Amino acid sequence: MIELHNVWRLYRMGRETINALASINLEISEGEFVSIVGPSGSGKSTLLNIIGGLDSPTTGRIEVDGQDLSKASDKELSSYRNKKVGVVFQTFNLQSTHSALENVSLPLVFARVPLRKRNQIAEEVMKTVGLSGRLKHTPSQLSGGERQRVAIARALVNNPKILLADEPTGNLDSKTSEQIMGLLTSLNKERGITLVLVTHDLKTAEHADRMIQMFDGQIAGAADRK
Amino acid sequence: MSLLDFLRSAFFNLGRRKLRSSLTILAVVIGASLVSLLLSLGIGVEGFLTAQIRAMMPPNVVMVAYSEQVFEIGFTGPMFGGKPEEISEDEGGSRFDLKPLTAQNREDIEALEHVERTDPYILLTADSVRLQGAEAKFRTALSSLPAYQAEMRQLVAGRHITDQSLGECIIANGYLESFGFQQPQDALGQKLVIQVKQAKGIFGLPSEIKDFNFEIVGVAEKTVNSTEIMISIEDGKEIARFWADSPNMYSDELPPSILQAKVDGSQYAAQVAQEIEDLGLGAMTSDDVLGVIGTIFGIIQAVLSAFGLIALGVASLGVINTLIMAIYERTREIGVMKAVGASKSTIRLLFTVEGASIGFLGGIIGVAIAYALGSAINWVSHITFLKDFETFKISVFPWWLIVGVIALSTIIALLAALYPAHRASNLDPIEALRYE
Repeated sequence: MIELHNVWRLYRMGRETINALASINLEISEGEFVSIVGPSGSGKSTLLNIIGGLDSPTTGRIEVDGQDLSKASDKELSSYRNKKVGVVFQTFNLQSTHSALENVSLPLVFARVPLRKRNQIAEEVMKTVGLSGRLKHTPSQLSGGERQRVAIARALVNNPKILLADEPTGNLDSKTSEQIMGLLTSLNKERGITLVLVTHDLKTAEHADRMIQMFDGQIAGAADRK
Repeated sequence: MSLLDFLRSAFFNLGRRKLRSSLTILAVVIGASLVSLLLSLGIGVEGFLTAQIRAMMPPNVVMVAYSEQVFEIGFTGPMFGGKPEEISEDEGGSRFDLKPLTAQNREDIEALEHVERTDPYILLTADSVRLQGAEAKFRTALSSLPAYQAEMRQLVAGRHITDQSLGECIIANGYLESFGFQQPQDALGQKLVIQVKQAKGIFGLPSEIKDFNFEIVGVAEKTVNSTEIMISIEDGKEIARFWADSPNMYSDELPPSILQAKVDGSQYAAQVAQEIEDLGLGAMTSDDVLGVIGTIFGIIQAVLSAFGLIALGVASLGVINTLIMAIYERTREIGVMKAVGASKSTIRLLFTVEGASIGFLGGIIGVAIAYALGSAINWVSHITFLKDFETFKISVFPWWLIVGVIALSTIIALLAALYPAHRASNLDPIEALRYE
């Protein structure tokens, strides 16, 4: 499903070159739940961004579902981000001036789904994340947990095969975190969505089938939990 | 993203910063209303002048003089501070230095195909006109016309003069009020006295004053010539001979300097004019005059609309500024849009449409304001200085002006949006998502 071959990602910072990712080889199969852990600056977010098509490797190859992302054009990459993957961020990244329903239906706008159909699909998805009563609320009227649910609904709305979550519980209290993790896990178990979770919290990481440890841009170890 | 979504998003985003958007739109409004109002005034006045000239100089008449120069409307020479122009041998120092045409000239012209007849073009100067037995004198402009030209004037009462008319005249509508007639019919049959002073009086030479008597047989519709009194060519000749103190004028001995040749169809006017020029004479048609007027108005309108265009150009800076501000405010949003599937071209188009919408709204409001102002000008002019011209509008808005100005302001704003849009589309999504 997801294959990374000798992926490097270099950043230039002034005169220094930083290896955000160094020689990453990784395979994630369809329906798998993988968590990536490591201290900050270890390269886990960069890895997630490359899988999410938001960033491209400096060298190396990444293939997702048979599509070579390292060679994709902007059009192909944006269509990939739109339809194949959904991303959930630590800071939710919702549009504050739009209602929850509008936030959820945003990816459908870029998929050229007509308005009426958009609202219908978005409403459906919001129901599955337990937010059917919050359609017209703006993000500021929602709790942290509810905001993250809106973000998850947005990531799911185009029915992607892959869900990427970057510290999704980082801004939430432990009880809400449990609920969000429960939701993500059920999406993986019940709907077979491939889930890649970045976290520095081991307790959160333990929900996954496989745990990958990163350090200084490299994979330092992996633990199969199945 | 569908076009409807682009528009929806553009108007939503403009509505988010109402004051800023309104101010930017206002700048476009000023430019668009300036352009459209000035152009509409130009179109209105030009249309009016064209109609008046068409009425005074029929399209089937070719004016003939010994030289083309007589008809030239020139803007050269010392008037614009240039060095004095050198004059060629056969050229007079004055542009209006007339030389009589010969009887042979007239025969040659009349022999041309499509030329029906020729008449002298008679310039007349009368001192005053008054009703017989009345004291009050009024200014007048005498026109001595062949019957076919006099017949082109619309009458509100009476009949036209003929080529055989002697001592008969048609008065301009404006005289009804001056002479105190309630109805146009009241003027018919009344006697007028036209007083003429000989031209040499201008130079302080002893000159005679003579009264010429006319009977009013017709009253014309309102035109710009509010002081026109039309008489036949024969009456005109008599007055002109007295005025110039030259009893032989307009005879074969002293033929007229300007002839008007009637062509049997206005479509032949240009061809006949060319043939007359081939005879070595000067010729002019009404289309030539209208062409000159068109050129002059073209220049005036270009200059006037340049002011509006400058205003639109300045407004486009406002569009650029507004959109760049919007990019800063919405950096994160742009990042999110990219993260969930917006391509570079989608983001670019999003901001381009937003800019174009500013221009479109500004254009519509601007044209609407100009239209309202134009209507107000028309209304005010009709109750003041244009009282007598009910059908004439100073400000005219043809559909192409409305569509054109809206399209122009939309395109200018769209072009202004290209740079900000390009900038937005090139934002790195990861950087944008981190932007605080």
